[in-house]
Amino acid sequence: MLRMLVWEFGKLVRLRSVQIGLLAALVLPILWAFAPGLRAQYGLELVSGWQVPALSLFTGMDFLFPFLTAMAAAEVLGAEVSMGTLKSVLLRPSPRSCLLGAKIIVVLTYPFILLTTSLVGSLLAGLPFGLGSFFGGTGLGPGSFAGVGQLTPSGALMELLRAHALAGLVLWPLSALAKLYAVVFLSTTSAALAAVSTLLLMRLLVAFPAIQPFLLTSYLDLYIRPDSLGLSLLIIYTAGFALLALLIFERKDI
Amino acid sequence: MGGTVATRTPGAALEAQQLGKKYGRKPVLENITLAVQPGEVYALAGPNGSGKTTLIRLLTGLAFPTSGVVRMLGQDIYNGGHLARRALGAVVEAPAAFYPHLTGRQNLEMAAFLTGLANAEARIREVLARLELLAVADQPVRTYSLGQRQRLGLASAILHEPQILILDEPTSGLDPQGISKVHEILSELAWKGVAVLLSTHHLREVSAYADRVGILGGGRLLEEVRLDTKGETYRLRVDDPPRAAAFLKTVPGVQNVSLRGVNVIFEGSPNVALAALVREGYQVQFLEPDYFDLYDYYRERVKNA
Repeated sequence: MLRMLVWEFGKLVRLRSVQIGLLAALVLPILWAFAPGLRAQYGLELVSGWQVPALSLFTGMDFLFPFLTAMAAAEVLGAEVSMGTLKSVLLRPSPRSCLLGAKIIVVLTYPFILLTTSLVGSLLAGLPFGLGSFFGGTGLGPGSFAGVGQLTPSGALMELLRAHALAGLVLWPLSALAKLYAVVFLSTTSAALAAVSTLLLMRLLVAFPAIQPFLLTSYLDLYIRPDSLGLSLLIIYTAGFALLALLIFERKDI
Repeated sequence: MGGTVATRTPGAALEAQQLGKKYGRKPVLENITLAVQPGEVYALAGPNGSGKTTLIRLLTGLAFPTSGVVRMLGQDIYNGGHLARRALGAVVEAPAAFYPHLTGRQNLEMAAFLTGLANAEARIREVLARLELLAVADQPVRTYSLGQRQRLGLASAILHEPQILILDEPTSGLDPQGISKVHEILSELAWKGVAVLLSTHHLREVSAYADRVGILGGGRLLEEVRLDTKGETYRLRVDDPPRAAAFLKTVPGVQNVSLRGVNVIFEGSPNVALAALVREGYQVQFLEPDYFDLYDYYRERVKNA
């Protein structure tokens, strides 16, 4: 299984959507840190490099990161279908669940790779603003950008790591959903489109207050306001989608 | 899936029983029953759309039937039988699919890993040499020609020395030399006891070493032709063929006399037939063995299906 995982990660980094996604995650913070309209958009004057990651995360989590996550999750299987290699792999005497299980682990890891890249890019972009102690907040902790007093570098880093880890968890159900659609449609484009459409549809469903607590989209900002119910729900969604994908794939005609 | 089929073909390496596949209401395959014994070469022939590829996907476990069962070495491949695929080597696409950024050797290493083949290095070198791919073994597969990819596919399929080999159009895209090489390898594997099932349009070539040919049409197995049991048949050309044919039917030792165009076809002793015709004053222009032409037979069979 371990070698299968290493093999799957090797394939992941070769995917076009992953390469483009990681590049976008790296470049986005640089654009934001030096954008002339930043103050108008957020009413913010950057006082520290520790504030740049929050800007990237707010912007990325709005659409870009969910989209990139769905694309990558769909392509992990879709690329194998289009290359014809899925058949070759399935002809070998390994259980289908083992192959898809490795792929699911890989796609659930990808949001963290994406967000780590974004964080690294943000900190690099923040270097000109300094990464020392400052009065204010990272935007991802108490008091948002205004903060609650002086923030040390280690305190700022912890806030950023916690928020990015939560953001990764927020993206999990979308990864699992895109993987489920990839199993159903055996196509990158259809699966990514279906996953993003589902996300957009859920956003529209906020008009129904009764179901709002159960929508994924109600928890997309969980990284700034952690909520144990929301977190549990996201994990349940992820497990449900992943198990369904495994179940369907077991008897899927390839 | 339909009810369990209890009957088994004794000794069969690969067997399909009452196999059926529907997409929605449309049947693509119906009631296919076949068995391939160890050491036997079974060729599947049929026009495009007859269900050959679907049948191969069902036989290899890539797709699941609506009814029926497939067993490899007696083990049901659909119900927990992924281990039965240890015995299987297969190429189900033409050209065979590989990771294009990896070299031919790396692709084979991956296949060896997934099959659980230990100490694969020597065996990989052996199959690469057998398929004449050593010179390009360390080049990325994306630089391979169609024929090289097809040969790499066969190399991958025979890498773990399978007992069952299933190939979809194994000679597609190959030059005449490559086709001969593939046929030579398949004959050799069958001689060593491997059960070989392949789909093909090259009936004349495959009839040189296939034991049986299954003719598919409209999703059904129309007929199985056993090539090695065709009797000794002769044809002769003679003046007044209808009268000569009628006469030969009365000659003891000559059977199954028929007319095919201007030729008289018969089974039995050629010496007896020739002597009888000469004795009766017929002018015999030639007499020769009438080899079974699988291609002609196939065309006739599919046309009349």
